[in-house]
Amino acid sequence: MDGTLFFQTLVDGLILGGIFSLSAVGFSLIFGVLGIVNLAHGIFVLLGAYLGLALKQTMGIDPLAAIPIVCAALFVLGALLQLTLVAGAVRRSSLMSSLLITFGASLILRDAVILVFGPDVQFLSSAWLVDTFHIGDVIVDGARATGLIASLLLLGLLSLALYHLKVGRAMRATAQQDFAAGLCGIDARRIYAVTFGISAAFAGASGIIIGLINPFSPFDDTYWTLNAFVTVVLGGVGSPVGALLGGLLLGEISTFSSQYVGSLYSNVFIFSALLLMLIVRPNGLLGNAYKGSV
Amino acid sequence: MTKISRRTALGLFGASVVGSTALRFAPARAQDGGVIRFGGSLGMSGRYAETGLNIRHGYETAIKYLNEEMGGVEIGGKAYRFELGIVDDASDPARATTLIQRQVDEGVDFFLGSYGSNVVLPCAGITEAAGKIMVQVGASADQIFTQGYDYIFGLFPRASRAWVTSIELFKTIEPKPKSVSIIATNGAFSKLNAEAAAAGCKEIGIEVLDVLELPEQVTDASSALATIRSRTPDILITTTVDQNSLVIVRQMIATETNVPLLYQFLGPQLPAYRESLGAKATGVIMQLPWDASLDFSDPVFGDTESYISYYNETNKRPLSYHTVGASACITTYVEAMRAAGSIDPAAVRDALDAIDITTAFGPVKFTEDGDGDPILMGAKIGQVQDGKIKVIFPTDFKTGELVYPTPTWAQKG
Amino acid sequence: MRGFHKPVPATVWALAALLLAGAVVLPFVASPFHLRLAQQILLFGGLAVAWNLLGGFTTYWSFGHAAFFGLGAFAAGLLGQQLGAEFSVAARLIIGLAFAVAISLVAAVAVALPVLRLRGIYFAIAMLAFAQILGEVSKTFDLFQGAMGFPLPLLKFPGLEKVQLFYFLFLLFCLVSVAVFVLVKRSRLGVGLTCIGQDEDTAAMLGVPTERYKLVAFVLSAMLTAAGGVLYVYGLGFMTSETVFRIDISLNLILFSMVGGIGTVAGPLIGATIMILLTQVVLGDLLDLHMMLTGAVLIAMVILAPKGLLGLFRRAWSRRRLAETVEATP
Repeated sequence: MDGTLFFQTLVDGLILGGIFSLSAVGFSLIFGVLGIVNLAHGIFVLLGAYLGLALKQTMGIDPLAAIPIVCAALFVLGALLQLTLVAGAVRRSSLMSSLLITFGASLILRDAVILVFGPDVQFLSSAWLVDTFHIGDVIVDGARATGLIASLLLLGLLSLALYHLKVGRAMRATAQQDFAAGLCGIDARRIYAVTFGISAAFAGASGIIIGLINPFSPFDDTYWTLNAFVTVVLGGVGSPVGALLGGLLLGEISTFSSQYVGSLYSNVFIFSALLLMLIVRPNGLLGNAYKGSV
Repeated sequence: MTKISRRTALGLFGASVVGSTALRFAPARAQDGGVIRFGGSLGMSGRYAETGLNIRHGYETAIKYLNEEMGGVEIGGKAYRFELGIVDDASDPARATTLIQRQVDEGVDFFLGSYGSNVVLPCAGITEAAGKIMVQVGASADQIFTQGYDYIFGLFPRASRAWVTSIELFKTIEPKPKSVSIIATNGAFSKLNAEAAAAGCKEIGIEVLDVLELPEQVTDASSALATIRSRTPDILITTTVDQNSLVIVRQMIATETNVPLLYQFLGPQLPAYRESLGAKATGVIMQLPWDASLDFSDPVFGDTESYISYYNETNKRPLSYHTVGASACITTYVEAMRAAGSIDPAAVRDALDAIDITTAFGPVKFTEDGDGDPILMGAKIGQVQDGKIKVIFPTDFKTGELVYPTPTWAQKG
Repeated sequence: MRGFHKPVPATVWALAALLLAGAVVLPFVASPFHLRLAQQILLFGGLAVAWNLLGGFTTYWSFGHAAFFGLGAFAAGLLGQQLGAEFSVAARLIIGLAFAVAISLVAAVAVALPVLRLRGIYFAIAMLAFAQILGEVSKTFDLFQGAMGFPLPLLKFPGLEKVQLFYFLFLLFCLVSVAVFVLVKRSRLGVGLTCIGQDEDTAAMLGVPTERYKLVAFVLSAMLTAAGGVLYVYGLGFMTSETVFRIDISLNLILFSMVGGIGTVAGPLIGATIMILLTQVVLGDLLDLHMMLTGAVLIAMVILAPKGLLGLFRRAWSRRRLAETVEATP
C-alpha cells in the first residue's frame, strides 16, 4: 500500500468526519433527551448557512464571526418549534407523531428559504480560513481544516456545558430518566425546549462551516438529516463524544472506501456500516441506551 | 376575546379544504377562441429547482413579449394571444404524469418539457399517445429520442452526440493532448455524457486514463482528486451539474490538484461559479449551448441583443442559457404555427419537423428523431479569460484564443 | 378465535359493496385525469394498507418500504428485459410479478432476521438504511441499469385504454391489500400483533410467538409492496432508481396512515385520498408555496386530529351518542 496515499486518505477522512460530527451532534441530543427523530435537522443546518450568508451580504460580518449570532437565532427557533408544535403533538398523540410535525416543519422552512434566497446554489467565504498546508507529502485543505478546528472547539464547549453546567446535568438526567428527573425538581418541559434550542444552534453553526467548504442549496437538507442519522447510530446517542466518534468513523469509511474501492461505492459502504452497526451494536460504539431504543 | 376551540378550528379547516378541492376538481376547458395555452411541468422544488426557475423565466419572458409587446400573433388569419400553464412536478414521475394528464384533458395541445429523463419520458408517453406536441429544453437522454415518438422535440442534441464539437476542439489543440480523465456522478445525465466524452476521445486516439464516478451529491471528491494527482491527465473533464462542479473545482484548488486543462461541462456558465472562484476560474473551459456574444436574428425578438435587453428590463434574475433556450422553445412553436398557418397539432408538428430558423438561442433545426441537430445546435466551447467567457471554438464564432496549457492554481493568484 | 371479533355489521358490507360498484363503473365515466388520480389513490392507499400490516399493529414502523417497492420494480423490469419479445407483455408482467414477490419474500426474510430484533426508532432507521443501500446498489452496478434507467413494455388489453387498464390493475392490487389486511386483523395473527403492539415482552411471556408473528406480518407487507412497485413502473413505462427508491414514497405511506388513522383498513385509504387530492388537485397548480402549505396541513392534522381522521370521527360519534343518552335520561 502506498504510504502517502494512505495517510492522505486518513487525514481527509478525519477532516470530513469532524464536520460530520458537528452537524450531527444536535440531532443526537434531541434523540437522546427527547427520544425524537428530528426530520427538520437538515433544514436547521441549512438555515445556519443561509443566515450566515444574509449576515455577510447585509452587514459584512465574516461567517466565522457570525457563528454566535446564528446560534442565538437558531436556539430561539428550535426552542419555539418544540414549545409550540412538537410538545403539543407528543402530548396529544405519540412520540411518533413528532416525525410528522418535524417533517411538516422542514417543508415549511425549506419553502421559506427558497422564497427568501431562491433555489440557487450559494456559497460562503471567510477571510479567516487557514491556508492549505503540507505535512510531509500529505496535503491539508485549508478550508476543511478550519472547519475541523471550529467543529472541535464547538464540540468541546458543548461537552463542558453538558458535564459542568447545571442545565447540562439536568439535560443528562432527563435523558436517562425523565420521571425521576422530574421528582428531583427538574422541569422537563424547560429542558426539552432548551435541548431543542441547543440542537438547532449547533446545527446552525455546522451549517456555516459546511457553507465555507461546499456550495449549498435549499434541497440539501435531506442529505444532512440522513448523515446525522448515520453518525448518531455509529457513535451512540446523546453525547458529543458519541457524535464525534460516529462522525470520524463515517468520515474514514467514506474516504477509505472511495479511495480503495471506488468513489461510487462510498454510500453503499456507509449505509451497510449503519445496518451492520444496528444489528451488532444497536446503541452505537459508546453503547448508552436511551429512550429511542425502547 | 373568544378562544377558538379545537372544534371550530377543525370545522373551518375542513370546510376550506373541501371547498378548495371542489373548486379545483373539475378540469376547466381553457383553450377558447384566440388564446393558445402552453402546458407542461417543471421541477420547481427538488434538486433541479434552480434550472427549473431559469427555464420558467424564459417561458414567461417570451409569453409576456408576445402578448404585451407584439399584442399577440396572427396565425392562419386569426389573432392569438398566449397563456402559460406550467405546474411543479417536484421531479416525481407519479405527480408529473397526473398533472400532465390534467392538462391534456383540459385541451392543452402544446407542451413544454420538464427536466430529467425519469420524469420527461413517462410524460412524453402521455402527450404522444394523445397526439399533443412537446418541445423541451431540459432533457437530452438518448432514450427520449429513440422511442419512435413523433411529437417530442428537444433543443439539445441527444447526450451521445453532445460531444461532437468538443472532440473537434481536442483535435486542434497544440501540443496534442495525450490523455484525459473524466469525473462523473452517478446519474443518467452525467453518466451518459461521460460515456459519450470517453468514446469520442478514444476515437481520436486520446487515452482515457480514468473515469471516476462520484455519488450524486458530491460533498467530498478528495479520493478522486488523489487519483488525478497520482496520474495526471492532460485534460480533466467533469460531466457534473453546477453545484457538484463547484465542489470539485474548489477542492482541486485547495488540494493543489493541477491539470493542464480543466473542462467543466456545466458550472462555469453561471456567474455565481465565476464569482466564487475569482481569478482561479481563469482557463476553465466549458460547453456553451448559448453565448451572449453570438448574435442571431430572431423572428419574435428581432435578435439576440434585443432579447437580452428586453429580458434584463423585465427580469431581475441573471440570464442563463436555459432561460434563452426556454424562450426559444416558445419562439419555435410560434414560428411553426405561423408556417403551418394553423394551430392543429398535426400541422404544427409537420412544421416543426421542417423548421429551419435562427432564434436568440441560435439555429433551430431538428433531426428526424426530434432532437437538436448535432452540428447546427451543438454546443460551442468557451473558456474563462479575465473573469469573462470567451468563445474559443468552433472557429467561425471565435471571440478568443484557447489558452493551453493553463497556469497552475498558484500562478493564477 | 372468532370470539375476539364482533361480526361485521351489515352497513359496513353495504358500504363496501357500494364503493366497489362505484370503483368498477368509474373508469367508464371519469376523465383520464380523474382516473390517474384514482390510480394513485388506489396504489398508494393499497401500499399504505400493506405497510399497516406491521406498522399498524405494532410500533415497528418501517421507514424504508421503498426498498421493497423498488426491489419489486427492478426484479420484474430486469427479468422482463431478459425474457424479451418472445413473451407477450402480459406474460412478462405476470412472470415479473411472481418473480418480484418471490425475491422480496427472500429479501424480507433475510433482512427481518436481524432487523426485527431492533425496536422502535432503531428498526425505523435500519429499514431506512436498507432502502438507501438498495437504491445505491441499483445505481452503482451497471448490471441493474438504475442510473440510466430502462423502458418497460406497453401493456395492452382489448377494449380498454391504458389509463383504464392500469386503473383496474391498481384497483385489484388495492383489493388484495385490503383483503390481506382484514384477514390478518381478524385472525389469531392479528390478535397476536395487537398484543405485541401493546407490550411485546409481556406478549412473549404469555406465549405469543412474537418473533414468528412479526416475521409473517413483515414478509406479507414486503411482498405486497413489491407487487405494487411492479405495477407502478409498468404504468409509467420508464424507470430509473430515482423513480422507485424515493424517501418520499416511504414517508408517504406512514403519512397517509397517520392522517387517516393507523391500524385500520379505511384509515390509510382515506389518508391517501386526502393527501393526494390536496397535493395534486388543490395545490397542484401552485408553482411554489405548495410544499409549505402541505407542511402546514400536516402539522394542523397532527395537532387537531392526533388519532387520524377516523379517530376524529369516532370521537365525534361517541360524543353524539353520549349526548343522546344524556337527553334520553330525564
